[in-house]
Amino acid sequence: MSQRSQLLKGILEGCILSIIHQGPAYGYELSMKLQEFGLSDVSEGSIYPILLRLQKEKLIVGEMRKSEAGPKRKYYSLTIGGEEALKTFIQNWNSIKNPVDRIISRGNHN
Amino acid sequence: MNAIDIMKLNNEKRKQLNSENEQYYEDMIVYIRTNAMKSEQQTEEVLLELLEHLLAAQEQGRTAKDIFGEDLKAYCEEVIQEIPGEKASKNVLFLFYLLIDLAAVLMIFLGILSYALYHFFGIGTRSLTFPIGTGISVVLIDGVLLAIWIYLIFRWMKGSTFKTKKPNKFIEFLQIWLMSMIFIGLTMLVFLFMPEFGTVLSIPLSIIIGLGIILFIVKTILNKRYRITK
Repeated sequence: MSQRSQLLKGILEGCILSIIHQGPAYGYELSMKLQEFGLSDVSEGSIYPILLRLQKEKLIVGEMRKSEAGPKRKYYSLTIGGEEALKTFIQNWNSIKNPVDRIISRGNHN
Repeated sequence: MNAIDIMKLNNEKRKQLNSENEQYYEDMIVYIRTNAMKSEQQTEEVLLELLEHLLAAQEQGRTAKDIFGEDLKAYCEEVIQEIPGEKASKNVLFLFYLLIDLAAVLMIFLGILSYALYHFFGIGTRSLTFPIGTGISVVLIDGVLLAIWIYLIFRWMKGSTFKTKKPNKFIEFLQIWLMSMIFIGLTMLVFLFMPEFGTVLSIPLSIIIGLGIILFIVKTILNKRYRITK
């Protein structure tokens, strides 16, 4: 696996948890939101293996239910463990984001 | 919704795919479904999600490769890896159900056939006579053969997906036919060449048929209660 996708995987997990935290969402909706926020390079399909893994780790639960538009869809919501994992992700992200930015900008003398 | 309801919904929705996406998606379904020992419920749920996503993208003129990547097989592997294993209790129930089903059909069919042969044509006897050791060995070995055969068919189906060249239908038929013939042949060989050992049992045909019917009822109730195939 490329370095890029390795790096992305953990971050995508955090982003997905964060979006679900804002309200139950289904797969297609989630991937559209990621795109809207600008993560357009992420292959849309890559969220499904991640959703499966998050369910296996009991961070989210999926439930098939009727959507407003009519068809049955699988809506995801966070578990208590998922809320915890999201908090940890935000902490980790905040502690990494600024130092990495500084290191990169120091190394890059353009 | 259980796995079978979702499967039905999937069959219904799949009709909306255009021919290119249908070809991609059907390969994905076969590739992902033929992985034994994975949770059936989770498998069907994710397959329906992939289909919904594909249908939405299709309206914007995109194909499965635009969404899941150029290498669909690798994508399927990624999905399979994350599907949790099936619960042991479900596997046991399914195996138990298959055995009862098989036994019921065999007992009713053989029972009625032998009964008719004896009463109308005077062929054979009015009871089924066999040495118990031989009977159990044949059933066990044939059971193992059946499991191997199913495994090989699954492997073959998985191998038939994501072909760039359209496979020749006749050759595919021949391959399956050959595998089935070898399986049936081996089953018969075991039956014919198993040495006789153990106490000889003699069970009247009417009891065999009766037992078969009871097993059939048990099987039907199990299926209604746990929705194994419906």
